Amino acid sequence: MKVKIGLEIHVHVNSKSKLFCSCPTNYENAEPNELTCPICLGFPGSKPKVNKKVIDSALMVAKALNCEIARETFFSRKNYFYPDMAKNFQITQYEIPLAKNGFLELNEKKIRIRRVHVEEDPAKLIHVGGNITSAQYVLVDYNRSGIPLLEIVTEPDFESTKEVREFLSKLVSILEHLEIYDASKEAALRVDANISIEGGEKVELKNITGFANVEKALNYEIVRQQNLKKMGLAVERETRHFDSQTKSTVSLRKKEFEEDYGYIFEPDLTKIEISEDWLKEIEKKMPELPEMKIRRFVESYGISEREAKIIVYTGKAFADFFEECSKLYKNFGNIAKWMVVDLLKCLNWNKISIKESKVTPRSFVELLKLIDSGKITQRTAKEIIKEFVATGKSPKEIVEEKGLSVLREDEKLKEIVEKVLKENERVVEDYLKGNEKALNFLIGLVLKESKMKADPKKARELILKIIQ
Amino acid sequence: MEIKEETLKHVAKIARLSLSEEEVEKFKNQLNQVLEAFKKIDEVDTSNLEPSFHPIEIKNVLREDEEKKWEWDPLANTKLKEEKYFKGPKIV
Amino acid sequence: MEEILEKAKKIQEKFSPFITIAEKVEFGKGKLSGIAISVKDNICTKNMRTTAGSKILENYVPPFDATVVEKCKREGAFIIGKTAMDEFGFGTFSTNCAFSIPKNPYDLKRSCGGSSGGAACLAAVADFPHIAIAESTGGSISCPASFCGVVGLTPTYGRVSRWGLIDYANSLDKIGCIGKTVEDVALLLSVIAGPDDFDSTVLNLPKEDFTRYLIEDVKNVRIGVPKEYFEVDEKIAKIVWDGIKILESNGASYEEISLPSTKYALYSYYIIAMAEASTNLAKFCGMRYGLELELKGNFDEYFSKVRGIGFGEEAKRRIILGTFARMAGFRDAYYLKALKVRTKIIQEFKQAFKKFDVLIAPTMPIVAPKFEEIEKLEPIEQYMMDVLTVAPNLAGIPHISIPCGFLNGLPVGMHIMADHLQEGKVLRVAYTFEKVKK
Repeated sequence: MKVKIGLEIHVHVNSKSKLFCSCPTNYENAEPNELTCPICLGFPGSKPKVNKKVIDSALMVAKALNCEIARETFFSRKNYFYPDMAKNFQITQYEIPLAKNGFLELNEKKIRIRRVHVEEDPAKLIHVGGNITSAQYVLVDYNRSGIPLLEIVTEPDFESTKEVREFLSKLVSILEHLEIYDASKEAALRVDANISIEGGEKVELKNITGFANVEKALNYEIVRQQNLKKMGLAVERETRHFDSQTKSTVSLRKKEFEEDYGYIFEPDLTKIEISEDWLKEIEKKMPELPEMKIRRFVESYGISEREAKIIVYTGKAFADFFEECSKLYKNFGNIAKWMVVDLLKCLNWNKISIKESKVTPRSFVELLKLIDSGKITQRTAKEIIKEFVATGKSPKEIVEEKGLSVLREDEKLKEIVEKVLKENERVVEDYLKGNEKALNFLIGLVLKESKMKADPKKARELILKIIQ
Repeated sequence: MEIKEETLKHVAKIARLSLSEEEVEKFKNQLNQVLEAFKKIDEVDTSNLEPSFHPIEIKNVLREDEEKKWEWDPLANTKLKEEKYFKGPKIV
Repeated sequence: MEEILEKAKKIQEKFSPFITIAEKVEFGKGKLSGIAISVKDNICTKNMRTTAGSKILENYVPPFDATVVEKCKREGAFIIGKTAMDEFGFGTFSTNCAFSIPKNPYDLKRSCGGSSGGAACLAAVADFPHIAIAESTGGSISCPASFCGVVGLTPTYGRVSRWGLIDYANSLDKIGCIGKTVEDVALLLSVIAGPDDFDSTVLNLPKEDFTRYLIEDVKNVRIGVPKEYFEVDEKIAKIVWDGIKILESNGASYEEISLPSTKYALYSYYIIAMAEASTNLAKFCGMRYGLELELKGNFDEYFSKVRGIGFGEEAKRRIILGTFARMAGFRDAYYLKALKVRTKIIQEFKQAFKKFDVLIAPTMPIVAPKFEEIEKLEPIEQYMMDVLTVAPNLAGIPHISIPCGFLNGLPVGMHIMADHLQEGKVLRVAYTFEKVKK
């Protein structure tokens, strides 16, 4: 059955202070309500003032998403009541968003961006004594109130969750490169989705937090709708909420009335005129976008497009790591090869990012040089990567400690070969009499003895050398 | 334009104002009188006019992204609190 | 200095201009040294109860000072107390106050006007150096100044920071001054005007000493007389005309003009003001500050109950009207249309000021009414009383009401208006009139 999905993405914009006040934004480690002031708590007499950096960030995103940017924009009050709303209205953008009519290219199609605008986040609610429908009262932490958000709305151009995943992955990469978004904060990305199947009613899924949950929520909902259809039941037009515990979508009890937002222009703020000069300034300040970086990597470093894409889309820190290594070591293809397979595999297995791991460009390059010099084998190198991702010890140290050098390996190999030959004199005689198979048997024993670490070629050479 | 009682009650609901039956009765008439009068602005030709958001045009008032902690006790003005949280009514 | 508090308490007994009186006297050094400043109760004073005239803020004590209060304190003023007002500014007679209702010094059975009734009353009767900080959205400085026979100055929108002002309508609210003389209001304006980092709508203008406009000279001042403003009680019209003639005999010239959009100003004003007010008042819901009840029911029920109890009748009316005016389906016809009408009114004034330095008209269509008369008025009739003050307020132009005469023993005010940022002209004409009218 054909699926139609549209997304509304809320991203927490990286900034030192909130959107309308100077409160710090690092709420992860703060006490409840520690990062508040009369403005973000909506105290009578307080008034907002716009953080310029947030507008700059929004303009960068608008450009990266190929949008038309408004010459003049302003803020509006979206009026509704809720315990997490300090003023019982949200300052957002309604009639004239900062940007509109953009697009993001996926591998197979273009996703149209309807609008990009700036707004403030509400507070954080805790439902005490149950969940949202059964709690006895709520506790509110306004540290999040007034955090700057970017809202990105797409047209309903998605036809599968795979496309959604590709889109979000690319979008996140762009936002990271623009230094607007911190992927390590789970609450930094929230997605609302509209889904309908085969011309049925539209269902809205609200507040899905974090990238990973988006696919789960969408998949669950698509199956739910398909099942209804199979049973001959209609899909109701409604709003549902994704429960991350049960990984299912739940219907929010319908209100008796629909909220009417009654938008008015925010009279405590001024219009914002976006001049040509301002846009030029933004262009100059804009960090390199992922697509540009990929092309540059291919052209300047001569690595394959496939490798460049993996390196760049893994994350900005990973791409930076590649460039740092390139300053220290000129076989770029080698860096790419080892990063894209073994290093990445290791990081993923340990569920950490390059930033969280203890590897440094210096130590990584050291490893590559060791391989080049023949001092260690490829297989050993893989061992070392596992070790230094976790401990941060330099490859040389690890080689020393564990006796992994080729030299040392050669010594060990010699010991093993000598031992095997000694213990299997009959087989040696066999070979000397002309039985080739005997040699293979000996090689096999050596490999077994070395716990499969020995190089079969070397083992063969050494055996022959000693026998002769 | 006449406000019917349902409209009045609907608006009161949106505005979270509980009105007594007397208030509803009283307001219905008074509000209709007022809205009748307000309707007169239809007579003004505003076809070439932009809406004015402020009496004097002010633009681009922005602030630098600097953090500053406000020294105060946010919970000092309320009895509805628990530990360091504000307390509020349940949702459903 | 302790006498001041005694005097204040006596005044309170007789006239009720205060909602809160200070507990102790604190004077400092500066331009306002030795002067008691009263503050309209919708302007926040740190550690001093601030109610905006409403039950929903009956015991609210702000954690910060409004910018204007801070500035006065820095210039050595003593904040003597908070003056009575219509709840949140909703009213023309200060009768919508949940606490004291101020009584007119000329007749205790009559209103002081509103919504800054307490401020004007105190300015009229204070027997110690005093100037009042007041606030106007649609005429709340001019009206009480006119009814109480004192001077009320409403500066250009954006001249004075609104940080700490409990909002009625943010694109219309202006903080101003009420005092016995033009010099008083010019002095206070000099202190409270000026840029402020905390208010985005404050004009970025250098500090100014407005007392330098107190010159007794109106030679060659061109006075425009808008005829639509004289469709009032003919006795009041005559008193104001006499005043204009006095100015003419001192070298000014006058000419009648027509401001045809005048009658629409009232509707445009109320629609915009109520639409904005209905959103400003949403924050009062029984959480974080203000009136609180036991947490029972869901948030719809709890909020509705608190607001139903805490807001007075006029506040509820305006919230409903304001919500309606911006609702889907009505927003274009009311809210957006009203914003366009404001544009037209501003244009009309700008045209007029190309030809004239000031416009002069009566401040109010009536003199102070009796409380029992006010009770009989329908809401729409009360709103219509603002007909002469709303247009300059809507346009955000500076204006002053000065005492111009008496009708049946009750004060009549003359309204002097000038173009944006032309407080100087307004003050000069007012000061001259004050000196020569004797």
